[in-house]
Amino acid sequence: MAYSLEAGQPAPRITLPALFVTFLTVSMYGFGGPIVWARRIIVDQRGWLDDMDFADILGFCQFLPGPNVVSLSVCLGAKFRGPAGALSALAGFILVPWTVGFALGAILLSYAQAALLQGILRGVAAAAAGLILATGLRLLVPYRRRPAALVFAALAFAGLAVAKLPMLIVVLGLVPLSIAVAGREPVPAR
Amino acid sequence: MNLTGAPASLVAHIALLALISFGGVPGVLPDLHNFVVTTNGWLTDQEFANCFAIVQAIPGPNMILMMSFIGWKIGGLPTALASAIVTFGPPCALSYTAFHYWERFRDTPWQSRIRRGLTPVIIGLVAAGGYAMARAVDAGWIGVGITVGAAGLLLGNRVNPLWLLGAGAVLGGFGLV
Repeated sequence: MAYSLEAGQPAPRITLPALFVTFLTVSMYGFGGPIVWARRIIVDQRGWLDDMDFADILGFCQFLPGPNVVSLSVCLGAKFRGPAGALSALAGFILVPWTVGFALGAILLSYAQAALLQGILRGVAAAAAGLILATGLRLLVPYRRRPAALVFAALAFAGLAVAKLPMLIVVLGLVPLSIAVAGREPVPAR
Repeated sequence: MNLTGAPASLVAHIALLALISFGGVPGVLPDLHNFVVTTNGWLTDQEFANCFAIVQAIPGPNMILMMSFIGWKIGGLPTALASAIVTFGPPCALSYTAFHYWERFRDTPWQSRIRRGLTPVIIGLVAAGGYAMARAVDAGWIGVGITVGAAGLLLGNRVNPLWLLGAGAVLGGFGLV
């Protein structure tokens, strides 16, 4: 079930331990949202996917219900190594990081009212927000020559961030339109 | 695990929300807040907000941890574990199955069309999540400066993001944010 083997060039040999360790790393770094680290580690550092393929799979996982970077680990594990790969990536993403995060968070929760901790949490959240915005912009780079794609990304951003519409409404409202427009464009050479 | 009463209804509710959380778990947090704080009074508003703030600032699968902490407050460790498992288990099984078929039809023209339409919308939603987080901090121009600075430095690709998060923590710790 190694889906990537038919592409002509040999797929990188990605082992089960590599999947476990990679998603363990993504999860352990994942302050403020693991998407930042998933893109950085999988695209920039490991070179397992380019920005466009990464964004496509992320889009698929984000469209489906559930914690989407966890789904991303399952789907990428499955893409590279089938069912065993999916389980390795999922186990890497959850087992150790959940245990560490739960222990750490349980301690922090008991100090949650302390002014020092509140200040630190706000500072980290402000920085994490910037990282997520930058990751969104980075993922848009492959679409820079497609005005319609940029318009739909901006509309989705505005619908959620400015108009404060529910996510489901934004997705159901924009995705069919965006697909209809994409169907009228010439297929880009990839 | 013998879950009855409040823990059982919490876990059932989280399981349901996880399965309808199209677009990601943060989208169903307002509903969870209603259920846990407003309807049942299991947590105070402040406790719920603290859970959210802390999972944003610690490593690990943050939405799974969020559900775990709410479960922990309501029914101890067994409820925390059950809440975690129902948050990712059924959705991951669904993603796995759906992805199998998605990859099988990867080279068809209709899927290429769907991908080219779907992905930009989702990228807009990712960026909106960052914006919402910045707004939630609501920390004046230094907070905005940290957000913009972190975004700029990450785009420049010169700095490990851990330094940016660390800088945010230090500035916040000194009460500047």
